[in-house]
Amino acid sequence: MHEPVIAIRSLKLDRGGRAVLDGLDLEVRAGEVHALLGGNGAGKSTTLAAILGFLKPGSGSIHVGGHCPSREPDEVRRAIAFLPENVALYEHLSAWENLSYFLSLAGETREPAAMEQALNAVQLHAQAWNTRAGGFSKGMRQKTAIALALLRRTPILLLDEPTTGLDPAATHEFNRLLGAQRDRGVAVLMVTHDLLGAAQVADRISMLRGGRVVREWTASPGPERFALAPLYQAFTGESAQ
Amino acid sequence: MSTLLREAAFLLRQRSAIVGVLILTLLATLATGLGLAEVARQQDSIARAVALQAIDEAAVARFVEDGGSAAYYSFHVAADAPSNLAFAALGQRDLAPFIMRIRALALEGQLYENESTNPEVALPGRFDFAFVLFYLAPLLLIALLHDLVSGEREAGRWTLLQSAPRSRGLWGARVLVRALIVFAALGVPLCAGAMLSGAAPTGVLAALGVVALTVVFWTAVSLAVARSGWRSAVNATSLAAIWFGLTLVAPSAAHLVVNAIVPMPQGAELLRANREAVHAGWDLPQDATMQRFFVTHPEWSDTPALRQPFHWKWYFAFQQLGDEHVARQSQEYRDGIARREALARTAGWVLPPLGLQQALHRLAGTDGTAQLAYQQRVREFHARLREFYYPYMFNEQPFRNTDFGLAPRFDTGAGSSRASGQP
Repeated sequence: MHEPVIAIRSLKLDRGGRAVLDGLDLEVRAGEVHALLGGNGAGKSTTLAAILGFLKPGSGSIHVGGHCPSREPDEVRRAIAFLPENVALYEHLSAWENLSYFLSLAGETREPAAMEQALNAVQLHAQAWNTRAGGFSKGMRQKTAIALALLRRTPILLLDEPTTGLDPAATHEFNRLLGAQRDRGVAVLMVTHDLLGAAQVADRISMLRGGRVVREWTASPGPERFALAPLYQAFTGESAQ
Repeated sequence: MSTLLREAAFLLRQRSAIVGVLILTLLATLATGLGLAEVARQQDSIARAVALQAIDEAAVARFVEDGGSAAYYSFHVAADAPSNLAFAALGQRDLAPFIMRIRALALEGQLYENESTNPEVALPGRFDFAFVLFYLAPLLLIALLHDLVSGEREAGRWTLLQSAPRSRGLWGARVLVRALIVFAALGVPLCAGAMLSGAAPTGVLAALGVVALTVVFWTAVSLAVARSGWRSAVNATSLAAIWFGLTLVAPSAAHLVVNAIVPMPQGAELLRANREAVHAGWDLPQDATMQRFFVTHPEWSDTPALRQPFHWKWYFAFQQLGDEHVARQSQEYRDGIARREALARTAGWVLPPLGLQQALHRLAGTDGTAQLAYQQRVREFHARLREFYYPYMFNEQPFRNTDFGLAPRFDTGAGSSRASGQP
């Protein structure tokens, strides 16, 4: 088993006087897709923000590839490709130009062939590559952002509701891409409401409630990776509370 | 460097930014061109006035009989040539006279008879480079900077941008690129104008320094507001209010306060008092006038006694007594202007946009201090005119036509050498 590339221990984080994360423990290993499920306000997006160093924890620790996000944000962000929930691109730039620009922000450049490969992989049709992103649908923006995450070639992917806005075929393709990343040894932490999607692609699923992990499931070998009934029960019960 | 180039290319892909920068560049170029044209017009006027003086002297020479009539009928051009940077900040050169035709008569009235201006002409002010720099350029900076971070938050790109390594440098680069582009939009036309006008490199550098400080000031103000975390629309509204307050309201209020602290007579009042004193001289006994004159000018007291009802030396004596009659008022007037200038400079330290505006006008030699200095040079020149003509009148020396060539000449170039870059 690989060492965890993301290790969160007893993390507490307050926002506006409210404990959003309250003793969170979480590990994500290389070559693993880890889905973080939870209802609204469970602390899923806050967890991602803390991993990226946007929010400073009150106590506990986060280590990303051995680096602390609040002390070494650049080292941490160099190791992470982040896909936000609501992807917004520069509307006056094309998909291609957006990719080039965001890559250069990370200090990276890619050959045109690699860019084409990534755009093909996310199934963004070629006519859109050089069209201004102002006219893109949510799904097209999402596909462009996924292509960016792939092009970053980082050891960690952080995904916030990655399949929102994607049609079923694109979601299927996205899941396939995610599997390929896992096979390359990439650690994936995915925040999602899509229980079925998570069950299809994740190796581990953690249920977050009140800022801490309350249940965890590991995928079994074989076609039915997770027993969906207890997962569904736990999730809907959680959501109902 | 590559980050700056990337951000410059990125900014110049935004149509609104291109339009804003192009408009500013065009306005700065137009203002520079108009400033150069105005300076050329003033230089041409001065050159024509100097050339016409020779024709004037030749005409006067045909009929003058003595030194008194030569002094009475001869006008002497005393012009204040614009500095090589005057095109950038015309300042008071459109209101205050830059050419005076001085006679050896009472001076005070001659100094201020050109002072009254049409207030409707003065009201809109000049469209010069200084106007573009101090009034319009801040608006473009505000437009480019008010939503630097808030715009990204509102568009939903902030987290994606922040998740990139070295993202902290991104904002610095974006600010620097915007400030540099605005600086270039202003600096290039200014340098082109300075090259055309032959301004000294030190003066151009100092003027570029004023441009840079103006850009830095408004960049800092914009960033200070943008840091507040408000929405872009709130940032824009707040910055527009600050611009309005700092460039229009506060300087006008400072002007009113300075004028209230330092009350002073109008130049036109001096002119009237001087003229009344001079004209009263016709009705006073000649001997009384001459005795009063000899008290302050004993060097002429050995002059032969007056034998006829009119003599030029009596006429010029009461002219000079007219000047001396308003000497205290005149000094108060000049002291008042100097004190107002000093107080305005103090206000400039509190209000940086005002202070920078004053600095550019000082560099261009078009501020109130330069106007006072020109007036002082005219006074000194007028004193030399009296020294030249008085021996012909008081010693009753004969005046020959060739003596016109010995009359003092005003150095019109003094202004330009003084103010081509010396703050």
